[in-house]
Amino acid sequence: MKSKFVFFSIIILLLFSNKILADDKALAGADFEYGQHLSGECVTCHNSTGLGQGIPKITGMKTAVFIKKILAYKTKEKDNAVMQMVADRLGEEEINSLALYLSKTK
Amino acid sequence: MAKITRRSFVGIMAASTTALSMPSIAFGALPRVVVIGGGAGGATAAKYIAKDSKGAVDVTLVEASKRYYTCFFSNLYLGDFRNYGSIGHNYYGLAVNHGVNMVHEWASSVNSAEKKVYLGSGATVSYDKLVISPGIDLKFNSVNGYSPEAQSIMPHAWKSGTQVQLLKNQVKGMKKGGTFVMVPPPNPYRCPPGPYERISMIAHQFKKTNPTAKIVVLDPKNKFSKQSLFMEGWQKHYPGMIEWISADTHGGIKKINTSTMEFETDLDTFKADAASVIPAQQAGRIAMNAGVNKGDWCPIVPASMQSQADENIYVLGDASIAKSMPKSGFSANSQAKVAANHIRGSLTGSKVFTPRFANTCWSLVATNDGIKVGANYDAKPDKINKTSGFISKTGEDSNLRKATYEESIGWYSGITSDMFS
Ligand SMILES: Cc1cc2nc3c(=O)[nH]c(=O)nc-3n(C[C@H](O)[C@H](O)[C@H](O)COP(=O)(O)OP(=O)(O)OC[C@H]3O[C@@H](n4cnc5c(N)ncnc54)[C@H](O)[C@@H]3O)c2cc1C
Ligand code: HEC
Repeated sequence: MKSKFVFFSIIILLLFSNKILADDKALAGADFEYGQHLSGECVTCHNSTGLGQGIPKITGMKTAVFIKKILAYKTKEKDNAVMQMVADRLGEEEINSLALYLSKTK
Repeated sequence: MAKITRRSFVGIMAASTTALSMPSIAFGALPRVVVIGGGAGGATAAKYIAKDSKGAVDVTLVEASKRYYTCFFSNLYLGDFRNYGSIGHNYYGLAVNHGVNMVHEWASSVNSAEKKVYLGSGATVSYDKLVISPGIDLKFNSVNGYSPEAQSIMPHAWKSGTQVQLLKNQVKGMKKGGTFVMVPPPNPYRCPPGPYERISMIAHQFKKTNPTAKIVVLDPKNKFSKQSLFMEGWQKHYPGMIEWISADTHGGIKKINTSTMEFETDLDTFKADAASVIPAQQAGRIAMNAGVNKGDWCPIVPASMQSQADENIYVLGDASIAKSMPKSGFSANSQAKVAANHIRGSLTGSKVFTPRFANTCWSLVATNDGIKVGANYDAKPDKINKTSGFISKTGEDSNLRKATYEESIGWYSGITSDMFS
Protein backbone atom coordinates (compact mmCIF):
# COMPACT_ATOMS: atom_id res chain seq x y z
CA MET A 1 0.00 0.00 0.00
CA LYS A 2 2.71 2.43 1.05
CA SER A 3 5.08 1.55 -1.80
CA LYS A 4 2.26 1.90 -4.27
CA PHE A 5 1.67 5.41 -3.00
CA VAL A 6 5.35 6.34 -3.27
CA PHE A 7 5.48 4.99 -6.82
CA PHE A 8 2.40 6.97 -7.75
CA SER A 9 3.87 10.14 -6.25
CA ILE A 10 7.07 9.75 -8.21
CA ILE A 11 5.13 9.48 -11.45
CA ILE A 12 3.19 12.64 -10.60
CA LEU A 13 6.41 14.41 -9.69
CA LEU A 14 8.04 13.40 -12.97
CA LEU A 15 5.09 14.55 -15.00
CA PHE A 16 5.00 17.79 -13.08
CA SER A 17 8.71 18.54 -13.41
CA ASN A 18 8.57 17.76 -17.12
CA LYS A 19 5.84 20.34 -17.43
CA ILE A 20 7.94 22.89 -15.55
CA LEU A 21 10.91 22.12 -17.76
CA ALA A 22 8.85 22.69 -20.88
CA ASP A 23 7.60 26.05 -19.56
CA ASP A 24 11.08 27.06 -18.48
CA LYS A 25 12.42 26.38 -21.92
CA ALA A 26 9.77 28.51 -23.54
CA LEU A 27 10.19 31.28 -20.99
CA ALA A 28 13.90 31.68 -20.46
CA GLY A 29 14.73 33.58 -17.28
CA ALA A 30 11.06 33.97 -16.33
CA ASP A 31 10.56 34.86 -12.68
CA PHE A 32 7.07 35.26 -11.27
CA GLU A 33 8.07 37.76 -8.59
CA TYR A 34 9.97 39.87 -11.09
CA GLY A 35 6.98 39.76 -13.42
CA GLN A 36 4.70 40.91 -10.64
CA HIS A 37 7.06 43.75 -9.79
CA LEU A 38 7.35 44.84 -13.42
CA SER A 39 3.58 44.72 -13.89
CA GLY A 40 3.39 47.65 -11.44
CA GLU A 41 4.56 49.74 -14.37
CA CYS A 42 1.74 48.49 -16.60
CA VAL A 43 -1.20 48.95 -14.23
CA THR A 44 -0.83 52.73 -14.23
CA CYS A 45 -2.54 52.44 -17.62
CA HIS A 46 -3.93 48.91 -17.91
CA ASN A 47 -6.48 48.43 -15.19
CA SER A 48 -7.40 44.96 -14.14
CA THR A 49 -11.02 45.28 -15.27
CA GLY A 50 -10.06 46.29 -18.79
CA LEU A 51 -13.04 48.59 -18.68
CA GLY A 52 -10.92 51.69 -19.17
CA GLN A 53 -11.77 52.87 -22.65
CA GLY A 54 -8.77 53.03 -25.00
CA ILE A 55 -6.49 50.63 -23.11
CA PRO A 56 -7.09 46.87 -23.32
CA LYS A 57 -6.91 44.36 -20.46
CA ILE A 58 -3.63 42.42 -20.38
CA THR A 59 -4.07 40.02 -17.46
CA GLY A 60 -5.02 36.42 -18.15
CA MET A 61 -3.32 36.53 -21.55
CA LYS A 62 -1.68 33.33 -22.83
CA THR A 63 2.11 33.65 -22.69
CA ALA A 64 2.64 33.15 -26.42
CA VAL A 65 -0.03 35.71 -27.30
CA PHE A 66 1.43 38.21 -24.88
CA ILE A 67 4.97 37.79 -26.20
CA LYS A 68 3.80 38.18 -29.78
CA LYS A 69 1.94 41.38 -28.96
CA ILE A 70 4.82 42.93 -27.02
CA LEU A 71 7.29 42.08 -29.77
CA ALA A 72 5.04 43.74 -32.33
CA TYR A 73 5.48 47.03 -30.43
CA LYS A 74 9.15 46.42 -29.74
CA THR A 75 9.92 45.92 -33.43
CA LYS A 76 7.66 48.91 -34.25
CA GLU A 77 5.58 46.68 -36.47
CA LYS A 78 2.61 47.90 -34.43
CA ASP A 79 2.18 51.64 -34.01
CA ASN A 80 1.53 53.18 -30.64
CA ALA A 81 3.95 55.67 -29.13
CA VAL A 82 3.40 54.71 -25.47
CA MET A 83 3.53 50.96 -26.03
CA GLN A 84 6.58 51.24 -28.28
CA MET A 85 8.31 53.11 -25.48
CA VAL A 86 7.19 50.57 -22.86
CA ALA A 87 8.33 47.61 -25.00
CA ASP A 88 11.56 49.33 -25.94
CA ARG A 89 13.17 48.76 -22.56
CA LEU A 90 11.84 45.25 -21.93
CA GLY A 91 14.52 42.60 -22.51
CA GLU A 92 13.86 38.87 -22.89
CA GLU A 93 13.96 38.24 -19.15
CA GLU A 94 11.48 41.04 -18.51
CA ILE A 95 9.08 39.98 -21.27
CA ASN A 96 9.13 36.35 -20.14
CA SER A 97 8.66 37.25 -16.49
CA LEU A 98 5.72 39.49 -17.37
CA ALA A 99 4.28 36.77 -19.62
CA LEU A 100 4.46 34.28 -16.75
CA TYR A 101 2.95 36.62 -14.19
CA LEU A 102 0.19 38.05 -16.41
CA SER A 103 -0.85 34.62 -17.70
CA LYS A 104 -1.48 33.54 -14.11
CA THR A 105 -3.30 36.67 -13.03
CA LYS A 106 -6.99 37.36 -13.52
CA MET B 1 -3.23 31.47 1.53
CA ALA B 2 -1.52 28.65 3.44
CA LYS B 3 -3.06 27.75 6.74
CA ILE B 4 -0.85 28.94 9.57
CA THR B 5 -0.39 26.26 12.25
CA ARG B 6 0.99 27.11 15.62
CA ARG B 7 4.32 25.60 14.65
CA SER B 8 4.74 27.41 11.35
CA PHE B 9 3.58 30.64 12.96
CA VAL B 10 6.39 30.44 15.52
CA GLY B 11 8.76 29.65 12.67
CA ILE B 12 7.71 32.74 10.71
CA MET B 13 8.05 34.97 13.73
CA ALA B 14 11.51 33.65 14.52
CA ALA B 15 12.64 34.09 10.94
CA SER B 16 11.34 37.62 10.68
CA THR B 17 12.82 38.85 13.94
CA THR B 18 16.26 37.65 12.97
CA ALA B 19 15.96 39.09 9.48
CA LEU B 20 14.82 42.44 10.82
CA SER B 21 17.33 42.81 13.63
CA MET B 22 15.69 45.97 14.82
CA PRO B 23 16.30 46.34 18.51
CA SER B 24 13.95 49.31 18.87
CA ILE B 25 10.99 47.13 17.99
CA ALA B 26 9.42 44.98 20.66
CA PHE B 27 9.24 41.26 19.95
CA GLY B 28 6.38 40.46 17.65
CA ALA B 29 5.71 44.05 16.62
CA LEU B 30 5.66 44.72 12.91
CA PRO B 31 7.92 47.28 11.25
CA ARG B 32 5.99 50.52 10.81
CA VAL B 33 5.69 52.71 7.77
CA VAL B 34 3.91 56.04 7.97
CA VAL B 35 2.92 57.81 4.77
CA ILE B 36 2.01 61.50 4.84
CA GLY B 37 -0.26 62.52 1.95
CA GLY B 38 -2.74 60.24 0.17
CA GLY B 39 -2.30 61.60 -3.35
CA ALA B 40 -0.69 60.14 -6.45
CA GLY B 41 2.57 59.36 -4.63
CA GLY B 42 1.39 58.57 -1.11
CA ALA B 43 -1.70 56.47 -1.87
CA THR B 44 0.29 54.36 -4.32
CA ALA B 45 3.18 53.88 -1.87
CA ALA B 46 0.85 52.91 1.00
CA LYS B 47 -0.99 50.43 -1.20
CA TYR B 48 2.07 48.73 -2.66
CA ILE B 49 3.88 48.39 0.68
CA ALA B 50 0.78 46.94 2.33
CA LYS B 51 -0.25 44.74 -0.61
CA ASP B 52 3.16 43.24 -1.36
CA SER B 53 4.27 42.73 2.24
CA LYS B 54 1.08 40.73 2.89
CA GLY B 55 0.73 41.89 6.46
CA ALA B 56 4.44 41.89 7.36
CA VAL B 57 4.56 45.70 7.50
CA ASP B 58 2.17 47.96 9.38
CA VAL B 59 1.21 50.84 7.07
CA THR B 60 -0.48 54.05 8.23
CA LEU B 61 -1.59 56.69 5.76
CA VAL B 62 -2.06 60.18 7.17
CA GLU B 63 -4.25 62.19 4.79
CA ALA B 64 -6.11 65.33 5.74
CA SER B 65 -9.11 64.75 3.42
CA LYS B 66 -11.57 61.87 3.29
CA ARG B 67 -12.00 62.35 -0.42
CA TYR B 68 -9.25 63.00 -2.93
CA TYR B 69 -10.22 65.07 -5.95
CA THR B 70 -7.63 64.56 -8.65
CA CYS B 71 -6.02 67.59 -10.22
CA PHE B 72 -5.63 65.39 -13.28
CA PHE B 73 -8.79 65.65 -15.36
CA SER B 74 -9.88 68.76 -13.42
CA ASN B 75 -9.31 70.61 -16.69
CA LEU B 76 -11.67 68.18 -18.39
CA TYR B 77 -14.23 69.10 -15.75
CA LEU B 78 -13.77 72.77 -16.75
CA GLY B 79 -14.48 71.80 -20.35
CA ASP B 80 -17.57 69.69 -19.41
CA PHE B 81 -15.89 66.42 -20.42
CA ARG B 82 -16.17 65.12 -16.84
CA ASN B 83 -18.45 65.85 -13.92
CA TYR B 84 -17.01 66.81 -10.56
CA GLY B 85 -18.09 63.62 -8.80
CA SER B 86 -16.15 61.50 -11.29
CA ILE B 87 -12.82 63.00 -10.23
CA GLY B 88 -13.35 62.27 -6.51
CA HIS B 89 -12.05 59.11 -4.83
CA ASN B 90 -12.18 57.63 -1.33
CA TYR B 91 -9.77 55.50 0.69
CA TYR B 92 -12.00 52.52 1.54
CA GLY B 93 -10.18 50.29 -0.94
CA LEU B 94 -6.81 50.90 0.69
CA ALA B 95 -8.20 50.10 4.13
CA VAL B 96 -10.43 47.17 3.20
CA ASN B 97 -8.42 45.47 0.45
CA HIS B 98 -4.91 46.07 1.76
CA GLY B 99 -5.21 46.76 5.47
CA VAL B 100 -3.80 50.28 5.35
CA ASN B 101 -4.57 52.19 8.58
CA MET B 102 -6.25 55.39 7.47
CA VAL B 103 -5.78 58.44 9.67
CA HIS B 104 -7.72 61.42 8.34
CA GLU B 105 -5.81 64.15 10.09
CA TRP B 106 -3.33 66.84 9.30
CA ALA B 107 0.29 65.88 10.05
CA SER B 108 1.52 68.97 11.85
CA SER B 109 5.18 68.11 12.41
CA VAL B 110 7.85 65.44 12.12
CA ASN B 111 10.49 64.66 14.71
CA SER B 112 13.02 62.78 12.62
CA ALA B 113 15.39 62.14 15.54
CA GLU B 114 12.67 60.29 17.43
CA LYS B 115 11.02 59.02 14.24
CA LYS B 116 7.62 60.39 15.17
CA VAL B 117 4.87 62.19 13.29
CA TYR B 118 2.70 64.62 15.26
CA LEU B 119 -0.92 64.92 14.22
CA GLY B 120 -3.26 67.87 14.39
CA SER B 121 -5.18 66.22 17.24
CA GLY B 122 -2.00 66.07 19.31
CA ALA B 123 -1.58 62.30 18.85
CA THR B 124 1.71 60.89 17.57
CA VAL B 125 2.56 57.98 15.27
CA SER B 126 5.97 56.32 15.32
CA TYR B 127 7.67 55.05 12.20
CA ASP B 128 10.62 53.01 11.07
CA LYS B 129 10.31 54.50 7.59
CA LEU B 130 8.43 57.65 6.68
CA VAL B 131 7.13 58.53 3.24
CA ILE B 132 6.35 62.18 2.54
CA SER B 133 4.23 62.96 -0.52
CA PRO B 134 2.42 66.20 0.37
CA GLY B 135 2.27 67.72 -3.10
CA ILE B 136 2.75 71.46 -3.38
CA ASP B 137 2.16 74.63 -1.47
CA LEU B 138 1.64 77.91 -3.29
CA LYS B 139 3.94 80.91 -2.97
CA PHE B 140 1.18 83.49 -3.04
CA ASN B 141 3.51 86.48 -2.85
CA SER B 142 5.39 85.40 -5.98
CA VAL B 143 2.82 87.48 -7.90
CA ASN B 144 2.67 91.05 -6.57
CA GLY B 145 -0.90 91.65 -5.39
CA TYR B 146 -1.92 87.99 -5.15
CA SER B 147 -2.70 86.52 -1.71
CA PRO B 148 -4.64 83.73 0.02
CA GLU B 149 -7.64 86.12 0.07
CA ALA B 150 -7.28 86.80 -3.66
CA GLN B 151 -7.67 83.11 -4.47
CA SER B 152 -11.44 83.39 -4.26
CA ILE B 153 -11.42 86.25 -6.80
CA MET B 154 -8.79 84.86 -9.17
CA PRO B 155 -8.72 81.12 -8.39
CA HIS B 156 -5.46 79.25 -8.92
CA ALA B 157 -7.25 75.88 -8.84
CA TRP B 158 -3.83 74.25 -8.67
CA LYS B 159 -4.58 72.09 -5.65
CA SER B 160 -7.44 69.65 -5.70
CA GLY B 161 -10.77 70.65 -4.21
CA THR B 162 -13.30 73.43 -4.42
CA GLN B 163 -11.04 75.96 -6.22
CA VAL B 164 -11.73 74.30 -9.54
CA GLN B 165 -15.51 74.51 -9.01
CA LEU B 166 -15.13 78.19 -8.24
CA LEU B 167 -13.09 78.72 -11.39
CA LYS B 168 -15.66 76.93 -13.51
CA ASN B 169 -18.46 79.10 -12.14
CA GLN B 170 -16.47 82.21 -12.95
CA VAL B 171 -15.73 81.03 -16.48
CA LYS B 172 -19.39 80.20 -17.12
CA GLY B 173 -20.59 83.40 -15.49
CA MET B 174 -18.22 85.73 -17.33
CA LYS B 175 -19.92 88.52 -19.27
CA LYS B 176 -20.49 87.99 -22.99
CA GLY B 177 -17.51 89.07 -25.04
CA GLY B 178 -15.45 89.63 -21.89
CA THR B 179 -11.75 88.98 -21.32
CA PHE B 180 -10.37 86.12 -19.27
CA VAL B 181 -6.79 86.66 -18.05
CA MET B 182 -4.65 83.71 -17.13
CA VAL B 183 -1.26 83.84 -15.39
CA PRO B 184 0.61 80.52 -15.60
CA PRO B 185 3.32 79.73 -13.02
CA PRO B 186 7.11 79.99 -13.45
CA ASN B 187 9.20 76.78 -13.61
CA PRO B 188 9.36 74.38 -11.86
CA TYR B 189 5.72 73.60 -11.11
CA ARG B 190 3.31 70.66 -11.02
CA CYS B 191 2.07 69.48 -14.40
CA PRO B 192 4.02 71.45 -17.04
CA PRO B 193 1.30 71.22 -19.76
CA GLY B 194 -1.52 71.79 -17.22
CA PRO B 195 -1.97 75.57 -17.59
CA TYR B 196 -2.16 75.23 -21.37
CA GLU B 197 -4.64 72.39 -21.23
CA ARG B 198 -6.66 74.61 -18.91
CA ILE B 199 -6.57 77.44 -21.47
CA SER B 200 -7.77 74.98 -24.11
CA MET B 201 -10.66 73.78 -21.94
CA ILE B 202 -11.74 77.33 -21.02
CA ALA B 203 -11.64 78.21 -24.73
CA HIS B 204 -13.75 75.14 -25.45
CA GLN B 205 -16.27 76.31 -22.86
CA PHE B 206 -16.35 79.84 -24.32
CA LYS B 207 -16.71 78.55 -27.87
CA LYS B 208 -19.99 76.91 -26.83
CA THR B 209 -21.48 79.58 -24.62
CA ASN B 210 -19.55 82.84 -25.10
CA PRO B 211 -17.94 82.75 -28.55
CA THR B 212 -16.82 86.39 -28.62
CA ALA B 213 -14.90 86.07 -25.34
CA LYS B 214 -11.13 86.53 -25.36
CA ILE B 215 -8.39 84.81 -23.36
CA VAL B 216 -5.17 86.69 -22.59
CA VAL B 217 -2.29 84.63 -21.21
CA LEU B 218 0.39 86.60 -19.37
CA ASP B 219 3.14 84.03 -19.09
CA PRO B 220 6.18 84.51 -16.82
CA LYS B 221 8.00 82.17 -19.23
CA ASN B 222 9.13 82.47 -22.85
CA LYS B 223 8.23 78.94 -23.82
CA PHE B 224 6.16 76.07 -22.45
CA SER B 225 5.48 72.34 -22.64
CA LYS B 226 4.06 70.99 -25.94
CA GLN B 227 3.98 74.61 -27.15
CA SER B 228 3.80 73.99 -30.89
CA LEU B 229 1.06 71.40 -30.38
CA PHE B 230 -1.06 73.70 -28.23
CA MET B 231 -0.50 76.69 -30.52
CA GLU B 232 -1.53 74.65 -33.54
CA GLY B 233 -4.64 73.41 -31.72
CA TRP B 234 -5.65 76.92 -30.55
CA GLN B 235 -5.32 78.21 -34.11
CA LYS B 236 -7.39 75.34 -35.44
CA HIS B 237 -10.18 75.16 -32.85
CA TYR B 238 -10.33 78.64 -31.33
CA PRO B 239 -9.01 81.05 -34.00
CA GLY B 240 -8.55 84.59 -32.69
CA MET B 241 -9.69 83.76 -29.17
CA ILE B 242 -6.39 83.16 -27.35
CA GLU B 243 -3.55 85.64 -27.11
CA TRP B 244 -0.45 84.16 -25.48
CA ILE B 245 2.07 86.82 -24.43
CA SER B 246 5.58 85.72 -23.47
CA ALA B 247 7.61 87.21 -20.60
CA ASP B 248 9.95 89.00 -22.99
CA THR B 249 6.98 90.59 -24.76
CA HIS B 250 5.09 91.88 -21.71
CA GLY B 251 8.27 92.52 -19.71
CA GLY B 252 6.98 91.02 -16.47
CA ILE B 253 3.83 91.28 -14.36
CA LYS B 254 4.43 94.28 -12.12
CA LYS B 255 1.26 94.16 -10.09
CA ILE B 256 -2.23 92.75 -10.07
CA ASN B 257 -5.20 94.42 -8.48
CA THR B 258 -8.01 92.13 -7.43
CA SER B 259 -10.56 94.91 -6.94
CA THR B 260 -10.12 96.57 -10.33
CA MET B 261 -9.17 93.21 -11.94
CA GLU B 262 -6.16 94.87 -13.57
CA PHE B 263 -2.85 93.27 -14.53
CA GLU B 264 -0.06 95.78 -14.88
CA THR B 265 2.86 94.89 -17.17
CA ASP B 266 5.56 96.90 -18.98
CA LEU B 267 3.69 96.39 -22.22
CA ASP B 268 0.22 97.43 -21.10
CA THR B 269 -2.37 97.18 -18.33
CA PHE B 270 -4.83 94.37 -19.01
CA LYS B 271 -8.32 94.44 -17.57
CA ALA B 272 -10.02 91.14 -16.85
CA ASP B 273 -13.65 90.12 -16.44
CA ALA B 274 -12.52 86.84 -14.89
CA ALA B 275 -9.09 85.45 -14.18
CA SER B 276 -6.98 82.58 -12.94
CA VAL B 277 -3.59 83.22 -11.34
CA ILE B 278 -1.28 80.29 -10.66
CA PRO B 279 1.59 81.42 -8.46
CA ALA B 280 5.04 79.86 -8.02
CA GLN B 281 5.18 76.64 -6.01
CA GLN B 282 7.20 74.76 -3.40
CA ALA B 283 7.10 71.40 -1.66
CA GLY B 284 4.22 70.90 0.79
CA ARG B 285 5.08 72.49 4.13
CA ILE B 286 5.44 69.26 6.09
CA ALA B 287 8.57 68.49 4.04
CA MET B 288 10.16 71.74 5.27
CA ASN B 289 9.15 70.86 8.80
CA ALA B 290 10.79 67.44 8.50
CA GLY B 291 13.95 69.21 7.34
CA VAL B 292 14.25 67.27 4.09
CA ASN B 293 14.13 70.30 1.78
CA LYS B 294 16.92 72.30 0.25
CA GLY B 295 15.23 75.54 -0.69
CA ASP B 296 11.80 75.01 -2.22
CA TRP B 297 12.10 71.29 -3.02
CA CYS B 298 13.55 68.08 -1.63
CA PRO B 299 16.68 66.40 -2.99
CA ILE B 300 16.41 62.60 -3.20
CA VAL B 301 18.60 59.58 -3.91
CA PRO B 302 17.45 58.59 -7.43
CA ALA B 303 17.72 54.82 -6.92
CA SER B 304 15.32 54.72 -3.96
CA MET B 305 13.61 58.13 -3.57
CA GLN B 306 15.17 58.39 -0.08
CA SER B 307 15.77 61.90 1.12
CA GLN B 308 19.38 62.99 0.81
CA ALA B 309 19.02 64.41 4.33
CA ASP B 310 17.59 61.34 6.12
CA GLU B 311 17.73 57.73 4.96
CA ASN B 312 14.57 56.83 6.90
CA ILE B 313 12.49 59.39 5.00
CA TYR B 314 11.39 59.01 1.38
CA VAL B 315 10.07 61.99 -0.57
CA LEU B 316 7.78 61.36 -3.53
CA GLY B 317 6.01 63.27 -6.24
CA ASP B 318 5.83 67.01 -6.67
CA ALA B 319 7.78 67.73 -3.47
CA SER B 320 10.90 65.91 -4.68
CA ILE B 321 13.63 67.04 -7.04
CA ALA B 322 13.29 64.17 -9.49
CA LYS B 323 15.18 65.66 -12.39
CA SER B 324 14.54 64.98 -15.30
CA MET B 325 11.03 63.72 -14.47
CA PRO B 326 8.27 66.33 -14.62
CA LYS B 327 6.07 66.86 -11.56
CA SER B 328 3.03 64.79 -12.54
CA GLY B 329 0.64 62.26 -11.07
CA PHE B 330 2.09 59.61 -13.37
CA SER B 331 5.63 60.41 -12.16
CA ALA B 332 4.56 60.34 -8.51
CA ASN B 333 2.86 56.95 -9.02
CA SER B 334 5.98 55.59 -10.73
CA GLN B 335 8.32 56.90 -8.01
CA ALA B 336 6.07 55.43 -5.32
CA LYS B 337 6.57 51.91 -6.69
CA VAL B 338 10.35 52.30 -6.63
CA ALA B 339 10.21 53.57 -3.04
CA ALA B 340 7.75 50.85 -1.94
CA ASN B 341 10.01 48.12 -3.30
CA HIS B 342 13.02 49.65 -1.53
CA ILE B 343 11.19 50.13 1.77
CA ARG B 344 9.93 46.55 1.83
CA GLY B 345 13.40 45.34 0.99
CA SER B 346 14.94 47.18 3.89
CA LEU B 347 12.24 46.20 6.39
CA THR B 348 11.55 42.59 5.42
CA GLY B 349 14.51 41.56 3.30
CA SER B 350 12.37 41.14 0.17
CA LYS B 351 14.04 41.47 -3.24
CA VAL B 352 14.92 44.99 -4.38
CA PHE B 353 14.80 45.33 -8.16
CA THR B 354 16.62 47.80 -10.39
CA PRO B 355 14.64 51.06 -10.29
CA ARG B 356 12.72 52.00 -13.45
CA PHE B 357 10.66 55.14 -13.85
CA ALA B 358 8.21 56.35 -16.48
CA ASN B 359 5.88 59.21 -17.23
CA THR B 360 3.27 60.07 -19.83
CA CYS B 361 1.17 63.25 -19.78
CA TRP B 362 -1.87 63.53 -22.02
CA SER B 363 -3.59 66.86 -22.67
CA LEU B 364 -6.92 67.57 -24.29
CA VAL B 365 -6.94 70.50 -26.73
CA ALA B 366 -10.53 70.14 -27.98
CA THR B 367 -13.14 67.42 -28.45
CA ASN B 368 -11.33 64.23 -29.54
CA ASP B 369 -8.07 66.13 -29.98
CA GLY B 370 -5.64 64.60 -27.50
CA ILE B 371 -1.86 65.04 -27.44
CA LYS B 372 0.77 63.30 -25.32
CA VAL B 373 4.38 63.39 -24.21
CA GLY B 374 6.20 60.61 -22.38
CA ALA B 375 9.54 59.19 -21.38
CA ASN B 376 11.35 56.33 -19.65
CA TYR B 377 13.94 57.01 -16.98
CA ASP B 378 16.57 55.16 -15.01
CA ALA B 379 18.46 56.09 -11.86
CA LYS B 380 21.92 57.60 -12.22
CA PRO B 381 23.79 58.48 -9.01
CA ASP B 382 23.15 62.21 -9.41
CA LYS B 383 19.77 62.29 -11.13
CA ILE B 384 16.83 60.43 -12.61
CA ASN B 385 17.94 60.15 -16.15
CA LYS B 386 15.77 60.18 -19.29
CA THR B 387 16.54 57.16 -21.49
CA SER B 388 13.97 57.52 -24.26
CA GLY B 389 10.83 59.46 -25.02
CA PHE B 390 8.19 60.57 -27.51
CA ILE B 391 5.88 63.49 -28.18
CA SER B 392 2.81 63.89 -30.43
CA LYS B 393 3.49 65.63 -33.71
CA THR B 394 1.86 68.66 -35.25
CA GLY B 395 -0.41 67.84 -38.19
CA GLU B 396 -1.36 64.37 -36.93
CA ASP B 397 -4.55 62.94 -38.36
CA SER B 398 -7.75 63.18 -36.38
CA ASN B 399 -8.10 59.42 -35.83
CA LEU B 400 -4.79 59.32 -34.01
CA ARG B 401 -5.76 62.35 -31.91
CA LYS B 402 -9.04 60.68 -30.98
CA ALA B 403 -7.24 57.45 -30.04
CA THR B 404 -4.85 59.52 -27.91
CA TYR B 405 -7.78 61.09 -26.08
CA GLU B 406 -9.31 57.65 -25.51
CA GLU B 407 -6.01 56.40 -24.13
CA SER B 408 -6.08 59.21 -21.59
CA ILE B 409 -9.48 58.04 -20.38
CA GLY B 410 -8.09 54.52 -20.01
CA TRP B 411 -5.11 55.90 -18.13
CA TYR B 412 -7.32 57.88 -15.73
CA SER B 413 -9.28 54.79 -14.89
CA GLY B 414 -6.02 52.80 -14.61
CA ILE B 415 -4.11 55.15 -12.35
CA THR B 416 -7.02 55.90 -10.04
CA SER B 417 -7.78 52.21 -9.55
CA ASP B 418 -4.04 51.61 -9.07
CA MET B 419 -4.05 54.26 -6.33
CA PHE B 420 -7.31 53.51 -4.58
CA SER B 421 -8.49 49.92 -5.08
C1 LIG C 1 -4.82 71.28 -13.53
C2 LIG C 1 -3.91 70.12 -13.32
C3 LIG C 1 -3.90 69.09 -14.23
C4 LIG C 1 -3.06 68.00 -14.05
N1 LIG C 1 -3.08 67.01 -14.98
C5 LIG C 1 -2.26 65.95 -14.83
C6 LIG C 1 -2.28 64.89 -15.78
O1 LIG C 1 -3.03 64.91 -16.76
N2 LIG C 1 -1.44 63.86 -15.60
C7 LIG C 1 -0.61 63.78 -14.53
O2 LIG C 1 0.12 62.79 -14.41
N3 LIG C 1 -0.56 64.76 -13.60
C8 LIG C 1 -1.36 65.84 -13.72
N4 LIG C 1 -1.34 66.84 -12.79
C9 LIG C 1 -0.32 66.81 -11.71
C10 LIG C 1 -0.71 65.95 -10.53
O3 LIG C 1 -1.95 66.33 -9.99
C11 LIG C 1 0.35 66.04 -9.44
O4 LIG C 1 1.63 66.01 -9.99
C12 LIG C 1 0.22 64.88 -8.46
O5 LIG C 1 -1.03 64.95 -7.81
C13 LIG C 1 1.36 64.86 -7.46
O6 LIG C 1 1.19 63.85 -6.52
P1 LIG C 1 1.72 64.05 -5.04
O7 LIG C 1 1.55 62.75 -4.35
O8 LIG C 1 3.06 64.67 -5.05
O9 LIG C 1 0.75 65.15 -4.41
P2 LIG C 1 -0.86 65.21 -4.33
O10 LIG C 1 -1.48 64.29 -5.29
O11 LIG C 1 -1.23 66.63 -4.34
O12 LIG C 1 -1.17 64.61 -2.88
C14 LIG C 1 -0.81 65.28 -1.71
C15 LIG C 1 -1.80 64.89 -0.62
O13 LIG C 1 -1.21 65.15 0.64
C16 LIG C 1 -2.16 65.69 1.52
N5 LIG C 1 -1.37 66.44 2.51
C17 LIG C 1 -0.45 67.42 2.27
N6 LIG C 1 0.12 67.81 3.42
C18 LIG C 1 -0.44 67.06 4.39
C19 LIG C 1 -0.24 67.00 5.81
N7 LIG C 1 0.63 67.79 6.43
N8 LIG C 1 -1.00 66.13 6.52
C20 LIG C 1 -1.91 65.32 5.91
N9 LIG C 1 -2.12 65.33 4.57
C21 LIG C 1 -1.39 66.20 3.84
C22 LIG C 1 -3.07 66.51 0.64
O14 LIG C 1 -4.35 66.62 1.21
C23 LIG C 1 -3.10 65.70 -0.66
O15 LIG C 1 -4.18 64.79 -0.69
C24 LIG C 1 -2.20 67.95 -12.93
C25 LIG C 1 -2.21 68.98 -12.00
C26 LIG C 1 -3.05 70.06 -12.18
C27 LIG C 1 -3.05 71.15 -11.17
C1 HEC D 1 1.32 54.83 -20.68
C2 HEC D 1 0.25 53.86 -20.73
C3 HEC D 1 0.65 52.40 -20.86
C4 HEC D 1 1.54 51.72 -20.08
C5 HEC D 1 2.39 52.23 -18.92
C6 HEC D 1 1.53 50.37 -20.58
N1 HEC D 1 0.66 50.25 -21.62
FE1 HEC D 1 0.31 48.57 -22.71
N2 HEC D 1 -0.99 49.58 -23.90
C7 HEC D 1 -1.28 50.93 -23.77
C8 HEC D 1 -2.16 51.30 -24.85
C9 HEC D 1 -2.71 52.71 -25.09
C10 HEC D 1 -2.41 50.15 -25.61
C11 HEC D 1 -3.24 50.02 -26.90
C12 HEC D 1 -2.29 50.31 -28.00
C13 HEC D 1 -2.80 50.05 -29.40
O1 HEC D 1 -3.88 50.54 -29.72
O2 HEC D 1 -2.08 49.37 -30.13
C14 HEC D 1 -1.65 49.08 -24.99
C15 HEC D 1 -1.59 47.78 -25.46
C16 HEC D 1 -0.89 46.74 -24.87
C17 HEC D 1 -0.89 45.36 -25.30
C18 HEC D 1 -1.69 44.80 -26.46
C19 HEC D 1 -3.02 44.36 -25.94
C20 HEC D 1 -3.89 43.77 -27.00
O3 HEC D 1 -4.73 42.95 -26.63
O4 HEC D 1 -3.72 44.12 -28.17
C21 HEC D 1 -0.10 44.67 -24.45
C22 HEC D 1 0.20 43.19 -24.48
C23 HEC D 1 0.42 45.61 -23.48
N3 HEC D 1 -0.09 46.85 -23.77
C24 HEC D 1 1.28 45.28 -22.46
C25 HEC D 1 1.80 46.20 -21.55
C26 HEC D 1 2.74 45.83 -20.52
C27 HEC D 1 3.26 44.45 -20.25
C28 HEC D 1 3.02 46.97 -19.84
C29 HEC D 1 3.99 47.16 -18.67
C30 HEC D 1 5.33 46.67 -18.84
C31 HEC D 1 2.27 48.04 -20.47
N4 HEC D 1 1.54 47.53 -21.49
C32 HEC D 1 2.31 49.35 -20.05
C33 HEC D 1 -0.84 51.79 -22.78
C34 HEC D 1 0.09 51.48 -21.82
